Amino acid sequence: MRPRVKEWKFMLMRIRQNSLALAGLVIILAFVCIAVLAPVLAPPNPADAFKIPRDMEINVLTPNPTPPTMRHIFGTTDQQYDLYYACIWGTITAFRTGLTVVGVSLIIGLLMGTVAAYYGGLLDEALMRFTDIIIAFPGLVLAMALVIAFPATVPINISMIALIIFILAMLMLLAFHPSRKLLLVVWGLLLLSILSMFYFPVSFQIPLSRLDKVLIAITLVGWPGYTRVIRGEVLRVKNEDFVEASKASGSSDFGIVVRHIWPNTVYPLLIVATLDIGSIVLSAAALSFLGIGASPDYADWGQIIQRSSPWINRPTELVANFHTFVIPGIFITLFVMGWNLLGDALRDVLDPTLRRR
Amino acid sequence: MTSLTAYIVRRLLLLVLVVLGVTVLIFAITMLFPAEIRAYMYIRNVEQARPEAIPRVIQIYGLNDPFYVQYGRWLGNLLQGNLGWSYTSSQSVVEAISSRWVYTFQIVMFAAPIIIFVGIYLGVQSAIHRNGLIDHICRVLSIIGWSLPSFWLGLILISVFSGQLRWVSIGPLSQEGINHVANTALFTRYTGVSVFDGILNAITRADISQLGITLDALAHVVLPVIVIVTIDVALLIRVMRSSMLEALNKQYITTAKAKGLSKNVVIYKHARRNALIPVATLSGMLVAGLLGGLVITETVFAYGGLGAWAARAALSTDITAVLGYAILTAVIFVIANLIVDILYAYIDPRIRLD
Amino acid sequence: MSLKTLVEVKNLEVNFYTYAGIVEALDGVNIFLREGEILGLVGETGSGKSVTSLSVMMLVPPPGRIEGGSILLETGNDKQDVLLMDDSALRSMRGNEISMIFQEPRAYLNPVYTVEDQIGEVMLVHRKPELLKNAVATLEKNNKRRTFEANNYRRMLKAPRSLATRFLQRFGSKKTLKAEVRKEVVKVLKSVEIPDPERVAGMYPHELSGGMAQRVVIAMALACNPKVLIADEPTTNLDVTVQAQILNLVRLLKKDFNSSILYITHDLGVVAQLCDRVAVMYAGNVVETADVFEIFSNPLHPYTRALLESIPRPGKGFKSIPGIVPSLINPISGCRFRDRCSYALEICQKVKPPFVELKKDHFAACYLHGGSR
Repeated sequence: MRPRVKEWKFMLMRIRQNSLALAGLVIILAFVCIAVLAPVLAPPNPADAFKIPRDMEINVLTPNPTPPTMRHIFGTTDQQYDLYYACIWGTITAFRTGLTVVGVSLIIGLLMGTVAAYYGGLLDEALMRFTDIIIAFPGLVLAMALVIAFPATVPINISMIALIIFILAMLMLLAFHPSRKLLLVVWGLLLLSILSMFYFPVSFQIPLSRLDKVLIAITLVGWPGYTRVIRGEVLRVKNEDFVEASKASGSSDFGIVVRHIWPNTVYPLLIVATLDIGSIVLSAAALSFLGIGASPDYADWGQIIQRSSPWINRPTELVANFHTFVIPGIFITLFVMGWNLLGDALRDVLDPTLRRR
Repeated sequence: MTSLTAYIVRRLLLLVLVVLGVTVLIFAITMLFPAEIRAYMYIRNVEQARPEAIPRVIQIYGLNDPFYVQYGRWLGNLLQGNLGWSYTSSQSVVEAISSRWVYTFQIVMFAAPIIIFVGIYLGVQSAIHRNGLIDHICRVLSIIGWSLPSFWLGLILISVFSGQLRWVSIGPLSQEGINHVANTALFTRYTGVSVFDGILNAITRADISQLGITLDALAHVVLPVIVIVTIDVALLIRVMRSSMLEALNKQYITTAKAKGLSKNVVIYKHARRNALIPVATLSGMLVAGLLGGLVITETVFAYGGLGAWAARAALSTDITAVLGYAILTAVIFVIANLIVDILYAYIDPRIRLD
Repeated sequence: MSLKTLVEVKNLEVNFYTYAGIVEALDGVNIFLREGEILGLVGETGSGKSVTSLSVMMLVPPPGRIEGGSILLETGNDKQDVLLMDDSALRSMRGNEISMIFQEPRAYLNPVYTVEDQIGEVMLVHRKPELLKNAVATLEKNNKRRTFEANNYRRMLKAPRSLATRFLQRFGSKKTLKAEVRKEVVKVLKSVEIPDPERVAGMYPHELSGGMAQRVVIAMALACNPKVLIADEPTTNLDVTVQAQILNLVRLLKKDFNSSILYITHDLGVVAQLCDRVAVMYAGNVVETADVFEIFSNPLHPYTRALLESIPRPGKGFKSIPGIVPSLINPISGCRFRDRCSYALEICQKVKPPFVELKKDHFAACYLHGGSR
């Protein structure tokens, strides 16, 4: 059996043995089911699936929240927004939030950290100082600024996207067959794509909801964590013998990084990413709660809890309507807990000192 | 110059660089706003502002000047101590900060030590009794604690203790407390931190009943502290635990045992001292980061500290206030970083030769 | 002249319970160390040398467990079985009657404490009464007879466990005691030929060179005048010149202090230079033990013979032992060397040969020389 396959099998065995990891996986899978089956579990709002429906009939009688009934399984909150719908479709929002932010942050952090660590010297210093500055940045400010200052749409050029994808494919090829000609072709294509931006007019605008802007904000301040982790790992591996050997046999820098360095250094990143998904969802929920997140009737867990915030000054009302925040809060907690359990278990499983004792 | 001093000087220079970088970046963000919105930063009474006056404001304050000119102007003001006017709080930003920081401090002064000491203690115990009962309990509680949304925990605590049981109200003091403190004939605000002021007044006025303020403040700080501690202690326990486990696996522990030292000495004197090194760095950053987490907690508990002020400013697009808050957080963060680095160099003799 | 046996390991069995299975690391190991001799313990990596030495100090780390056998320690009049000792007896033995030094000295020293702290620590554990007496004597000499400090020391001597002593000793300075400790530390550093011992005492482990650090570790091991010193490959990671210095030091220890040393190594050259007797280990067993000259000239066990033949000599071709060391998980029956032995008999497959005295003071576990019965 190939050694890497054997290692993966060993890791899977460890995960299976760890009951907390299994619990985490079960929780996440449950949420995946909810997200996938959302249209079935809670028939989508015809206008916009992510707009929470309001029960206008009851609203005429009273705008106050109603406890769970047959009509509204989790009850309703202020202005008769259906909690059940919010929780179900909020699952999709949560996944979208966590995965996109972590995905993009991971890529940015990976690239910056690898480049900084591999090339070292002044580049490393400069990139690390820049990372330090971003870390010192308060995310709240950025979120607020972007939400208000950013235009409602972002222009995207189709041909640029196509060219970028093509370039990435060429780079992959380059990794395995280092050749000067291929490198020239890649640079040529890059130039072409930049020029095409000027010649081909903007193709279409992508609308950015308020939530999207918040996600961009969180991403922009979230990548430094990954940078530091990967930088530490790459520094550790950079001077190993197998890297020297690869250099001696003429591999390109890019090839060495992709084939030798990354397979040995990405595991801690996976752990950070898994744990981060949970904490990103918490941050987004907190921002929504403050009112800077998703728009007022968007199906988002944090947002629906925000409707309960006016009663903080009248705690007895808060108690009376506890279902309006307890239920969505349970969704958030369980979702985050699932990812935390998984990340924690991964950390144990990938712990090098415990590898194959 | 000793190696430690040289190290400190180097880090101080870097600190200045980073703070400057942050200011540039923060300022750049505010420039994303069109000049019309930025004009409101210079208007004291926003409600009574006439839209026609805006172009005049833009002209007076040079809001369409090139970036570096405006930045230079702003930096100059900053260095003179002028951070602008916050219209949501009807005070200058500097006043707003100085009047509110005591409330934030009151929470942090309890939360930080509790997080650090409880976190270290439980982390060490979890590592020593690995896979024992305390390890499992800590692990489960850690994961739950780290998964809870802070505002949600706050809401639950408020509805239970404030709504249902009616033990405490929301805010830094009860209504009577607030009235008492505001009354200068009965009470002098020496520090602004009610917990201390109560004690000080009791002494200076020879009046035991003044301690009631201290107790009142304590009762009102309990819930926010619980929220903050529950969430942040989890991280510290995990890190302390893994650091301790790593230290216990080191070869010098074998030597210590081979010398005939008792188990306690081996664990606490040899392993823990080494395990605390990375934890010290983390604790420093954690405490500095408390300020960020407090934004939510203070809003939920209506505590009137810096966090609540920043949240309201953010919502109402009070740019100067948000800017001031951003600068403050960044500076605190960077200073905390520096202190932590120095502490690290002090604790770990290996670093000083860097 | 028969010398006293200070340490006798009898039929020691140690298992390691790992994810991959139960590793039978030691399967009936027999070793004895006599007073004033250097016993070399040779074997390949994985033969069980380190585990044996750790077992003597009861320092085998989990998932290892001592399953059987006995380790008899000569203490004054009678022998005590280390495996039956309770915690406090073990602690008083470690660092005091038996000391151990390891490979990679800088890793085995605590990086955040100075040399003085670490050596002083072991002295304070085992030699405290003596140090206290000296401190009191020094204070009396300087006319500080009645001070709080002196009384503290007297209390600590007379009633070290009492509540009053333990409470009061937190106050008052311990300067004199510290000075006594420092004096002793410098003394022991000098005895391992460390130049400028006062300065070295205040240094941190990372400031020491490899050879210096190993001397410090040796000094720490000798700080309480142990009867037995176990050295687990102390020179393997050092430069050859430094290695020579350390070996000289070890020889000096034997000469000047009549130390009994269990020297573990895989280097036969070191064994030839240094040791009085040699024990050869293979796959968890001791296969042969004899005087060093005897074993080099007249090896009885086929493994020992093959080992000696595989030493590269100029002019002769390389001769290696065919095959590999067998797995210790579900080990093969009979003699563990049988698959690689050119003299294997049928009985070797079935029954493990007992470790017996085949010639005068020459032990081996092999059927070849009549080891059956």
